[in-house]
This record gives sequence, structure tokens and C-alpha cells, in this order.
Amino acid sequence: MNFMRRCSTAAALVVAVASTAAAQQQDVRLTLIRDDATREVVRQQLGGALSRGVPMEPLMAKALEGVAKRASTKSIKAAMARLEENWHRAAKALAPNPTDDELSAGADALQQKVPESALRSLRKLAPGRSIALEIGVLTQLVARNVEPGQASKMVLELMARKATGTQLTALSSAVQEDVEAGLAPAMALDLRGRGIMSLLPPPSAVSTLNPRSTPRP
Amino acid sequence: MTEIDPSVPIRAQRGDEQAFLEIVEFYYPRCLRFARNMMGNEQDAEEAVQDAFVRVHDSFPRFREDARFDPWLFRILANRCRTLLARAKRHRELIEYGEVPLAIASAASPIELEEEFGADWAEEVRIGLETLPAEQREAFLLRHVEDLSYEDIAVITGAGLSALRMRVKRACDTLRIRLTEVERRNGT
Amino acid sequence: MELERDETIERVAQTLAVLPPRDAQAVSRVMTAVHAHKAQRPSRLTLVMEWMRQPSFSVASAGALAAAALVLGFFSRGAFGNAGSDQSARSTLEGQPTGEFPIPAGAVLPASNSHEVRALPVSLVFDARNATSVVVVGDFNGWDDSKTPMVRYGKDGPWTATVLAKPGRHVYAFLVDGTTLVADPRAPRTKDLDYGGDASVLMVTPP
Repeated sequence: MNFMRRCSTAAALVVAVASTAAAQQQDVRLTLIRDDATREVVRQQLGGALSRGVPMEPLMAKALEGVAKRASTKSIKAAMARLEENWHRAAKALAPNPTDDELSAGADALQQKVPESALRSLRKLAPGRSIALEIGVLTQLVARNVEPGQASKMVLELMARKATGTQLTALSSAVQEDVEAGLAPAMALDLRGRGIMSLLPPPSAVSTLNPRSTPRP
Repeated sequence: MTEIDPSVPIRAQRGDEQAFLEIVEFYYPRCLRFARNMMGNEQDAEEAVQDAFVRVHDSFPRFREDARFDPWLFRILANRCRTLLARAKRHRELIEYGEVPLAIASAASPIELEEEFGADWAEEVRIGLETLPAEQREAFLLRHVEDLSYEDIAVITGAGLSALRMRVKRACDTLRIRLTEVERRNGT
Repeated sequence: MELERDETIERVAQTLAVLPPRDAQAVSRVMTAVHAHKAQRPSRLTLVMEWMRQPSFSVASAGALAAAALVLGFFSRGAFGNAGSDQSARSTLEGQPTGEFPIPAGAVLPASNSHEVRALPVSLVFDARNATSVVVVGDFNGWDDSKTPMVRYGKDGPWTATVLAKPGRHVYAFLVDGTTLVADPRAPRTKDLDYGGDASVLMVTPP
């Protein structure tokens, strides 16, 4: 019947247009890589990684970063492989159900040599909300040469004392400035960390919650 | 309804992750369509589909290579939908009277449906589906939308053939009563 | 056609049969969930070892045979051969230590009410008087040099752009005249462990 034929055509058209759009969006990003050899290597890395459970976005971004920085094909391939490995490690450390933002932050953190056990502790401390920010603060402290164990302990303690995101990023900025001014990283962290702690309620005043917190949506 | 090449589930069953990815890419739209129609909202539908694929991956060692993949997949998906519907029902029972009911989504974007079918019709179909008891909705969708045979639906739901035919018939009767009136109003 | 599938039911079926478009991101989320689940699941080796650690009281011969069958079945499935897929599972043998970073007892923080962390607008400013074009590239826009061109403030003023970035740490740079990547002189630096050199860091604070 005419009506049914119209319905089928409309449905097929919607699917075809949408599929083409999605495929075209993927193709466009690869065509930003002008070098044929690099583009092919990136395409293969993306395909393999997707089958192993790593989303394409961060890997594509890592590849394009390498292109922007005029890195060799070999460097780009190695960087993508490292990211994939760190992604898997972050997925385990931040289980269950980490968000993509947490996974990106976790992979960066691991690359900067933040210990996996620190990520696990961050997750245990805050199982019900995003900890991408806290991971980022920890990563930046370690990137500025604060010893990873010391940085991890400080961030965890501040989090447990309910320091806000603003306070944590302020810590990172302040330590950064102190280190650039010549202060030893360990001393800068200790000073600035204690400064924030003095503004927070003491540990005994922190409400003890049932460890079985609400599962994340 | 096209099924995936039988060699793909066999490769996945033997641990080939690329084959599993091909399965997800092939079946995701159909699974989401079914889950959306069953659950009535996008968030629950996506959760059901994701859960189902996790279970499929877990259960693959138990998948018999001589079995057909589609009924096996849809059995797992239908189970997840039933579980999540039961959970949603328990949650709704706790909501006080007067709260806004959950939004109902259709299989395609509302704009696409409404342009082709008219806003009134699409909405009435959605509501009609929502009012069916879950068992009838499930049987109707598997038969008339997913185009599966009664034998396959029996494997998926665990129900007998005559019970299934009755569920589909009742669902059709209910939808027909509601929607014939809409068609008359729209002059179609 | 079945008797029940009249014109009305046919129309209903057509309405409900429209397939959603292919969604690479959704497929990606499924694969991530599958692999995250797999990483948490104890391997068969763990399950067998856990079983063998159980105190055996009066082990009936049937029970002993069943255990032997389990171990034999385990070997015959080539589980030891699946080194690739079981790597993550093997590490679960170590358990779930927080080890050197214990958290205070009862200090678990409450869950958030919001489902998603929103990206926030951040203004970037860059002085490059002689440049003819400047683009921001960074992890917040996938290092895509087509996404965030900067705009000159006035005739000779600095270049500016607003990017959307979620709270946390971000790495970025400015691409000048389509050829030269330059760090932001106003921003903290970090070493680029992948590609060498320095990168600029943006720490976005939540509201």
C-alpha cells in the first residue's frame, strides 16, 4: 500500500542519513592527518583499541596531538599504545563504572607515575561522584616534581576533610608558583596543604558516613 | 530480519574480541530499539542494552555453537528489560501521588516520527504501548516489531506458544481500540 | 499476514520499527563496560584456588571427583593459554589493596546528585602581534585545529578564545599561523612525556 511504502522509505532514509553522518564525522577526523602512512597507522591503532574496550575519542586526540607537534609516526603509534595501556590500568583502579573523564584523567595520572593504589583510594573515598578533578590535581602536583606518595597522601587527606574543588585547584596553583620561585616541591606541598587544612573542620568533626554509599547513577 | 553471519558469534565464543565488537556494532541499534519500546525512556533503555551485552560477553563460553544467536541475545536482553522494569515499578510505587510520570520516548527521535506520522499518532502509539502489561508489550514487540517467530519468542520468554499468541492478540486488540479512534480523528 | 496484523497494527509496527542510527560512542561505552566488568571478575584460576583453600571436612568421593573434573576442565579449556585476555584477571589475584594509602574509617564521601559534570567556559588570552592566525588546540577539543580559532581583540590587541573544559587538569597549546605550536606564557608548564618538550596546563575549577 502507498502509505506503508512511504513509512518504509522514510524509516530507511532516516537510518541512512544518520549512519552516513556518523561515518562521515569519523572520516573527517582521520583526514586531519595529512600523512598517508601516519593516517593508516592511526586507523589500525583505533580499530584494535576499540575491540579491546578503549573509546576512540581520547586515542584520536592523542594522535592529533602528535600531528600538531610534528611527531614521527613511530612516536604517535607508541603514544597511542601507551595511552591504551594506561586506560586499561585506570579502568581497573577506578572500578566500578568510571566515567570517560575519570578514565582520561586516570590514564594521564598513571603516565605521570601517580601510583595505581592512590587512584584506588581516591575511588574508595568517593565512590558516588566524579573524581576527575582530584585526579587532575594529583597529576599536576606529581608533574611538578612533588614525590608521588606525598602528593597522594596530601590529596587524599584534603579530600577526606572535605576540601572543595576550588581549594584543591588553589593548592595546585600555589605549589606551582612556589616551586617556580625556587622552593623545594615537598616543602611547598607541605606548607600549602597545611594552610588549606587549617581552614577545614578537624577530622573528628567530619561526619562518619555509612561506607556503603549510594551507588552512582 | 537479517541475522549476523553465523561465523561471527562462533569466533566471539572462542574469545575473539574483534568478533564481539562486530556483534555489538551489528546488534546495538536493534537492541536499543527493543529496549526503548519496552522501557519507555532512553536512560533505562541504554542501561538495559549495556547490561545485556556485558552478560552476553560473560556468558559466551556457554553459548552452543550450533545454536542461533538472535534468540539467545534477545533472551538476555528481554531478561534485563524485565528486571529493570520491575525495579522501576518498585521505584514508582514509592513516588508520591502527583509527581510527574516518567517521560516516554519512541524508537526514533520525536521529530522524525512526528514529521512523518503526525505528533498525535506517534504520541498515541507511545502511550498505547506504555499502557500494555509488560508481558503483552514484550510479546507484541518481539512478534510485530522484531519480526520473530513464535518459536523464537518462546525461547526468548520461556512462555508456551498458546500463551504467547494470546498475549500478542490481547496487545493488538488494546492497541487497535485506542488507535483506530486516533486514525479516524486524523482522517487516515 | 496474520489476521491480527491489520492496517492499524501494521501502522503501529512501522512506527515502532524505526531503527536508531548507528552510534559509535554508544558502542564504545558498551565495550568499556564489558572490559571493566571483565577486569573485576575473578579468573577461573582464582575461583579454583579459593575453592581449594576452603577447609574440607568429610570430602565425599563424589565431591573430590567433581573438584578434579573442574580442574581438568579448567586445563582443557586452555585457560593458561589465554594469556592475553587473562592478564587483567591475573592481577585480580593480588586482591584490591589500597595498601599505602588507607582512607580514614567511615570517611567515604557522599554521592553527587548530578549525573554529569558540566564543561565550563574558560577564556584564554595570547599575545602574538605579528601572527595572522592563532588556534587553540588541547585535550578539551581533541587537539583538532579546526575547532577553536582565536579572535583578535581590536586591531593590534591580543588573541582571545573561550573553550569549554570540565573541572580538572587540561593540556593545551596555541597553533600560530597554522605552523608553529607555542606554549601559553601565562600558564603553568608540564613536560610532554609522549612527544617531548613542554605543554601548557589549564586547571579548571568547579563553580
